[in-house]
Amino acid sequence: MSHPVSRALGALALAAGALLALPAHAQAPSCPVKLGGILPLTGSMAPITKKIAQAAELGIEHINQGGGIKGCPVQFILRDDQGQPTVGVDAAKFLVEVERVAAFTGTISSGVTGPIITSVTAPSKVVQVTCCSTASSFTADGRGGGYFFRTIPTSKTQAYATASETARRSFKKTAIIYVNTDFGTDMLRFYRAASAKLGGDIAVEVAYNDNQPSYRAEVTRALAAKPESLLLIGFPKDAVTIVREWLSMGGPNKVALNNSMRTLDFVNGVGARFVEDFFGMDNAQVAGPHVDAFNQAFEKKWNADSKGPGVHTQYDAVMVLGLAMNIAKDLTGPSIREAIRRVHTPGGTLIGTGPAEFKKAVELIKAGRPIKYTGATGPIEFDANGDVTGPALVWKITGGKIETDRIISIEDMQSLQKRVEN
Amino acid sequence: MIGITSYLVFFLCVVLVLSVLTLGLNLQWGFTGLFNAGVAGFYAIGGYTHAILTAAPQPQYLGNFGLPWIVGIAGAMALTALAALLIGLLTIRLRGDFLAIATFGIAILIQLVTLNLEPLTGGSQGLTRIAKPMSSVFTTPLAYNIFYLVLLIGVVALVYWALGRILASPWGRVLRAIREDETAAIALGKSALRFRLESFVLGSTLMGLAGALYVSFIGFVSPFDFLPILTFQVWAMLIVGGSGNNRGALLGTLVVWGIWAASGVTVSKLVPPSHAAQGAAIQVILIGLVLVLMLLYRPRGLIGERPMVSRHLDG
Repeated sequence: MSHPVSRALGALALAAGALLALPAHAQAPSCPVKLGGILPLTGSMAPITKKIAQAAELGIEHINQGGGIKGCPVQFILRDDQGQPTVGVDAAKFLVEVERVAAFTGTISSGVTGPIITSVTAPSKVVQVTCCSTASSFTADGRGGGYFFRTIPTSKTQAYATASETARRSFKKTAIIYVNTDFGTDMLRFYRAASAKLGGDIAVEVAYNDNQPSYRAEVTRALAAKPESLLLIGFPKDAVTIVREWLSMGGPNKVALNNSMRTLDFVNGVGARFVEDFFGMDNAQVAGPHVDAFNQAFEKKWNADSKGPGVHTQYDAVMVLGLAMNIAKDLTGPSIREAIRRVHTPGGTLIGTGPAEFKKAVELIKAGRPIKYTGATGPIEFDANGDVTGPALVWKITGGKIETDRIISIEDMQSLQKRVEN
Repeated sequence: MIGITSYLVFFLCVVLVLSVLTLGLNLQWGFTGLFNAGVAGFYAIGGYTHAILTAAPQPQYLGNFGLPWIVGIAGAMALTALAALLIGLLTIRLRGDFLAIATFGIAILIQLVTLNLEPLTGGSQGLTRIAKPMSSVFTTPLAYNIFYLVLLIGVVALVYWALGRILASPWGRVLRAIREDETAAIALGKSALRFRLESFVLGSTLMGLAGALYVSFIGFVSPFDFLPILTFQVWAMLIVGGSGNNRGALLGTLVVWGIWAASGVTVSKLVPPSHAAQGAAIQVILIGLVLVLMLLYRPRGLIGERPMVSRHLDG
């Protein structure tokens, strides 16, 4: 390794140094407070990420309008992980070490979130709140050191709710086609367990890999078991292909879906008249003034509806961080981690979404009074592992529109969980 | 400054891990002319072998033997070598693009096996609690990363030195002879097939080593670490640096990964978060643009192979 390499190394270090010197306040501990974000803005997740990023941005805006964090405005630094673990890890390390963010939110794919936890946030003791990574192992085995939280219920909530709904609609001989990711396998595992207790029977389980041009082989395999219904667990783009092939090959049109398909891209992709009465699950969109307030704020700001996976959970991830950082005695990881537990204190004053509510919360925190945050996805209360539980929602497609069919309340979910796991 | 140092140390660790990959590919493509498009596959075998051998035992997995770090490294190299030998025996007769298609397919196959062989690999949930060597001695993230950087510098220096030695030997000359004109090499009585296979196995073993080094650095492995884009990145590193030159391979790794990381930083500095989606697209365009410009103005790479007719004519 002689001159050219070392010269280039020196040049790169210089260039990097010059680049990093741009923000003069990089080392300043006070204003503005930096909050990092990592999302797959490009790559296969990009279509759903746009709205998620917008929700995060809206959360930051609300925090700033509501008084910021400890009197400081918040600066949001959003980086792209391209759906690639090495890129995401590099971005996370940069945010934590160079930008010195107080905490960060992200990301979507569990394959990127996993290495960020083990190599960046847990060793550096930085709080990470994800909107969307559902791999059950992340919180279960303690690898996050208590610094990892998520505002999306793990796949368990959705899987149990799906099993209870398919049982209620008397699904028999169900074929399951699921995407082979941590999300898909978790969903399958929990659904299988719940469906055994609640009285459904599974005819066949077929895994698929995402982003293929055709799923004829998988659909043929599923149909060979002569199923009477289908449970499709996957992502919208693939789901369009699968449902089209399923119907064209004569599959029964008794179909259950998961949360990712709750988008008009899916409905219009297949063709609205073919998916009439299909239904699916989603997480915890409790109705109420705070949910409406968020939806209206989102629509006003971005001129688009707030429907879509991860939108509400991302907003809550940002708001939880904003509240916790106000509660924390200082902006170190351990203090913020501890403060996150006090964002939803039983008996505290109810805090909803939007800048005015945030302002109210900041005043209460200053006065040393407890708060109880109920966000865009309902009450946000983390369990010992850093997971949230929440109500589930059944949605259905009627006349080319996505409508809420019914809500399974938290109480019902808890009793359902007991029935399955007793 | 500590923050920047800490980041640069981390960044260089990733560069060094990737440079082991690039050196392996350079042996295969740069010196022997083997079009291996399955880099990610051998990287995955090394990474998973290391993880399965060294991760702390968990009841739901068959592997996770909790063995020492060095056993994981040795095992990863041995198993990758074995896999490369089997794959090589099947495919090494294929020329040029045909070998590329075969190895590309095999890499995807390996990635799908890691995704589906859940009892062993943890499937899409990935494996965690992988041994980090000396982590009890170096407890802060910065101290640990500096230790790992020193370790990696040692490994890369060793690999670089060893490759330099064997490529200067008669064995290395035969590889270049095969690359330039295989028929002529055969006419001189060399078994081209055997040399091609040896080069393939040795290069792939280095890729396996890189996989093990990566996994033990990050402490987590999942199938998403081994997507085909990685193969493309390593190829870009080699071409930009200059194939047929090990120093070029190292420089190319640094430059390409540097562009990847720096473009992300630049975009996040210049573009407000509200336009982050568009900014991210610009980043991807930027990466492509820089690579294309490099190829236009430095078609032989930053440091290409030194043209050499004979050592004796070299003056």
